[in-house]
Amino acid sequence: MSQSTSPSREKRPDRALGAGHDDFWAWCGKGELRLQHCADCGKITWPVALACEYCGHTSFDWKRMSGRGKIVSWCSFERDYYAGLLPIPWMTILVELEEGPLFISNPVDITEQDIRFGMPVAVEFIACEDSAGGFSLPVFRAA
Amino acid sequence: MSDYKNAGMPPPSREFSRKAAIVGVGETDYYLDYKAERAKAPGYEPPTTEGLVLTAFERALAESGLERGDIDGLSTSFTYGGPEPEALAQMLGIKPRYSIQNGNIMAGPLPIACAAIAAGKCDTMVMVYSVASRAIGRQYGGSTYAGAAGAGAPSSYYYYLPWGWSSQAAHWALMFRYYQATYGATEADLGAVALQLRQNASINPNAVMQTPLTLQQYLDSRYIVRPLHLFDLCVVNDGAVCLIVRRADMARDLPHKPVLVAGWGEAKVKNDKMHTMVRERLRPIMQDAGGQALAMAGMDLAEIQHFEGYDASSIHLINQIEGFGFVEPGAGLKFCQEGNMAVGGKLPVNTSGGNLSGSYMHGWSQIVEVVRQLRHEAGPRQIAGIQASMSALVQTDQAHPIIFTRGE
Repeated sequence: MSQSTSPSREKRPDRALGAGHDDFWAWCGKGELRLQHCADCGKITWPVALACEYCGHTSFDWKRMSGRGKIVSWCSFERDYYAGLLPIPWMTILVELEEGPLFISNPVDITEQDIRFGMPVAVEFIACEDSAGGFSLPVFRAA
Repeated sequence: MSDYKNAGMPPPSREFSRKAAIVGVGETDYYLDYKAERAKAPGYEPPTTEGLVLTAFERALAESGLERGDIDGLSTSFTYGGPEPEALAQMLGIKPRYSIQNGNIMAGPLPIACAAIAAGKCDTMVMVYSVASRAIGRQYGGSTYAGAAGAGAPSSYYYYLPWGWSSQAAHWALMFRYYQATYGATEADLGAVALQLRQNASINPNAVMQTPLTLQQYLDSRYIVRPLHLFDLCVVNDGAVCLIVRRADMARDLPHKPVLVAGWGEAKVKNDKMHTMVRERLRPIMQDAGGQALAMAGMDLAEIQHFEGYDASSIHLINQIEGFGFVEPGAGLKFCQEGNMAVGGKLPVNTSGGNLSGSYMHGWSQIVEVVRQLRHEAGPRQIAGIQASMSALVQTDQAHPIIFTRGE
C-alpha cells in the first residue's frame, strides 16, 4: 500500500470523472446527495448523463435528495473481480430513493442475515480513495 | 466490393418476411476445443479467429450443397476483432459482390442480411461469427478486461465501480433477488433451469458441458454473485458459427429443407433502466419486440413450438419465457420444474443446451439449433413435427427476437 494512502480512507475502484460526474462527486464531498434534475421535464436522470434520459434536454440543476430510501434488491460478490482491492464477499444494495431513482450502493452495518425487502435506509458518506484521489462515497444505513 | 458497416437493424416489415432462408449451418468443435483449452497439453496453441471461421465456413458450405462460386455476399461479425471482409473473402476463396461488417452478437445481423438479400444486393450470403473469449482471457466483470481486446466495460455497469458493483452476473443476481421477493422462489427452484439445460446438453455431443447435474451439485456449487451459483451463469468458450442465407425462391432443391426468416423485432430500454431490468425483468421491451416479430411473420404466439432464448443466466431465460408471454409472470420456474421446457414438453427451450451448458456464441448457436429443429434433423433431441421457432437475443436493455418457419 502506498505511503500517501490515508489509513482512514477506503480504497475503491476508479470513479467515472468528467463533465457532470465531477459535479456529482463535488456535491458528495459536501455531504449532499444531489442528482441531475431536468430543467425542462423535471425528471431525474441517474446515473450521470449528458442529456435527460426522458426528454433529451441538456440543461440540469442538481436536485438535493432527501437521502431516505428503501431496499429493493441486493447481491453479494463471491468472485473477486478487483484483484483483492475489496474484501470478499462484497455486498451491494439497490435502494429506491424517496424521489424515485434506483441507486446502487453499499450497506453500512447491514448484513446478509438482517437485510429485508423494503427496509428503510438513509444515506451517509464515507471517506474513500481511488487513483484520482480522495472522495466521499454515498452509502446507506438502516434508518 | 461494396463495403458497408452495420448502421442499424431494418424495421420489421411484411415485405421482408420469408424472403430469405438459411440453407447451410456450420459450427466449430465447441466440446473438443473447450477440453483442449482446459487441458493445455504441451504445444497447445489457442484457436485463432481465422482458423475457427474457416472451420465453420467449410462445414456450412459442404452441407448447403452450394459451391464457392454461388456465394455473392459476405457478412462478418466478430465480438473481439477479426479480419476485414476483403481479407476474409480471400481466405475463404469467395468473391462477394456485397459485404457487410455486421455487428457482433445476434442482435441485428440476420435481419440485416435478410433485408440486403430482399433489396437485391446479393442472392446468397455467407455470415460468419467468431469469438475467442478464452484465448484473450476475457473476464466479464471488474474495472478492466484482461487481454488484447482492451475495451472498457460497457456503460451499463461501469458507473457503479466505486461501489464495487460490476459484471453481467450482478444484473441477473439483482433480478433474481427481486424475483424471490415477489414470487417466493428459492434457489432450488431456480436450479431447475440449470438442470434442464444440462439434460438437454447431455444428448448434444458438441455441448461444452454434457455431464448430468444433480440438484445437490447445483446447490453445493460456489456462488459467483449471491444468490447466483456457478451453474446459473453461461459458459465461456471459443468458437465460430457460419450461416448461409439465400434468396428464398432459390433455396429449394438443396440437400436440406430451407428455414425461412419470417419475422423479427427490436426494442430497447430508453429510460429507467434499473427499474425495467430488476422490477419488470424487461417484460415491456420483450412484449414490444415480440409483438413486432409476430406481426411481421403473420403469426400468433401460440404457433411458436420451440424457443431458443439467450440464457446468459438461468433467471434470464425465465425472464424471456415470461416476458414474451409464453407463461404468466412468476410462472416460469414452475413451468420449467414440471418439464415443460424439455423436448416433449409444452415449449421445448434451448434444446442443444443453451449458453449455460451448450456453447456461448452470443446468440448464434441458438440460430443453428433452430435450423436443425426446423429441418427435422436434430436427432435424439428432435421436437416432433415442428413448424415454427423463435429465437431471442435479450440483453440487459434490449430485445431482438426472430421467428423462423420450416420452408417447402
